Amino acid sequence: MSEAILSNETKGLINKNVIIEAKNLSVAFEAHTVLKNVDLFVEKGETLVLIGPSGQGKTVLLKTLAGLIEPTAGTLSLYHKQWRGLPENEKIKILDKMGMLFQKNALFDSLSCGENIAFPLREKTQKSELEIQEIVDYFLESVGIIHAKNLYPEEISGGMQKRLGIARALALMPELIFYDDPTAGLDPITSKKIIELILELKKKNNATVIAITNDMNRAYQMADRIAMVYQQNLIITGNVEETKKHSNPAVHQFIKGELLGPLNSSFENL
Amino acid sequence: MTTIYRDVYSFLELVKKTVMSLFLKPLRVKETFQQLYFVANGSLWIIVFCVCFAAVVTILESSFHMKLVIQNDSMVPGFASLLILRELGAVVTALLLTSRVGAGIAAEVGSMKVTEQIDALRMLGIDPIQFLLIPRLIATTLGCMILCVVANLICIFAAMIISDQVLGYTPSMFLTAMNRFVQFRDLIFSVVKAMFFGMTIPMISCFFGFRCKSGADGVGSATTQSVVFASISIIFLDFILSYTFSYFY
Repeated sequence: MSEAILSNETKGLINKNVIIEAKNLSVAFEAHTVLKNVDLFVEKGETLVLIGPSGQGKTVLLKTLAGLIEPTAGTLSLYHKQWRGLPENEKIKILDKMGMLFQKNALFDSLSCGENIAFPLREKTQKSELEIQEIVDYFLESVGIIHAKNLYPEEISGGMQKRLGIARALALMPELIFYDDPTAGLDPITSKKIIELILELKKKNNATVIAITNDMNRAYQMADRIAMVYQQNLIITGNVEETKKHSNPAVHQFIKGELLGPLNSSFENL
Repeated sequence: MTTIYRDVYSFLELVKKTVMSLFLKPLRVKETFQQLYFVANGSLWIIVFCVCFAAVVTILESSFHMKLVIQNDSMVPGFASLLILRELGAVVTALLLTSRVGAGIAAEVGSMKVTEQIDALRMLGIDPIQFLLIPRLIATTLGCMILCVVANLICIFAAMIISDQVLGYTPSMFLTAMNRFVQFRDLIFSVVKAMFFGMTIPMISCFFGFRCKSGADGVGSATTQSVVFASISIIFLDFILSYTFSYFY
């Protein structure tokens, strides 16, 4: 839907709920441009799923939206504040509202599973050790790995590491959560359980979720809106039904997993 | 050439941020003491072992050459003491810390970068410089200064023993000769050198760790580069500081 046909009242309502707004966002690493002139907004409480072929810049976009990568051009607004040039204490206030599950989980390998969840609580809150341990137990139980509390990340399986990463990302009850491929490398049953867990915790915290996945079943399971990162840009494909019927041949080929189509030339360039 | 300028600029940026963090943000005391224990206690015996042999070589080589040139090695105790205090104690300690502590810091920070742990810290609003670099900077600086004093004492003691056993200069003769050559400020300058070396090691190691590239050789390459650049920097700094201190004599 074009923004031009919306009434001012509707625009105002949308703007009030928009917590992330990117305009003409470009990201480049030296001479290599990853994203070019990306426009995107994310509303409070919605689940936006990013899909797209490997190497197209999904993780870069996610990290840029989370404020971890400085865009080379364009503007990024988080919670109605321009990220570039924002004082550090203001940035920390915004980061305190956010949580992230990283692609490689980013678990602190020198800390046990329980300590990994306790770490953000010790750093960012004034809670007593007893309260922290209660929260740690609650989240470990929520993700089903309470038995691994005293084990180190390298001593548990990939699926358990993923679940621990989710528990750590949620420990501070963030309003905005980024998930970078939460089901990568997991079997279909565990994947489904993880997505159910994400949705359950989202509902509980009334959180906004931006997630990357290439598993279309999981994308359909959790998305309010889907967008495909392709050729340095973003194709907003709409909700699940709209995505399934999308006319763009690249989107069509990707969601159907077909071998022939415009994406082949992208794969050859990888 | 542009890359070199960019790298130097990035390093200076890191130094600037570190100095600002050092004075503007609270110190992580527990982590600093943990690092100090790792640096000082963990490196002590390696340094003691190495400086003992450095002392032996210094005494034997000085004696051999002095006998060859002036047919007399009576100046060896004083001369060796001076060399130990002005150069050996600080430089050998720093180079050993570079290979033991510096390599460890680069590998640890590098693997944290590759596995996105540094991003995870930033996501929690924790400054990686304050969390990782500052405790290591303070610990390595203090550790290098303490170890330098210990290394100087052990090295002089080893030189005294070897002078007695091989050259026939008794400990009292050695100390008398040393007293004639060495001044207290030599020890002070040695500790000042150690302070600069101690600051250089974690700065360079963290610099290469923070920009570690992913992939199989990313961490290895960051570690190697950090050891090479830190060693070169120590040698270069030693020249600058020795030249500067020469104005005080």
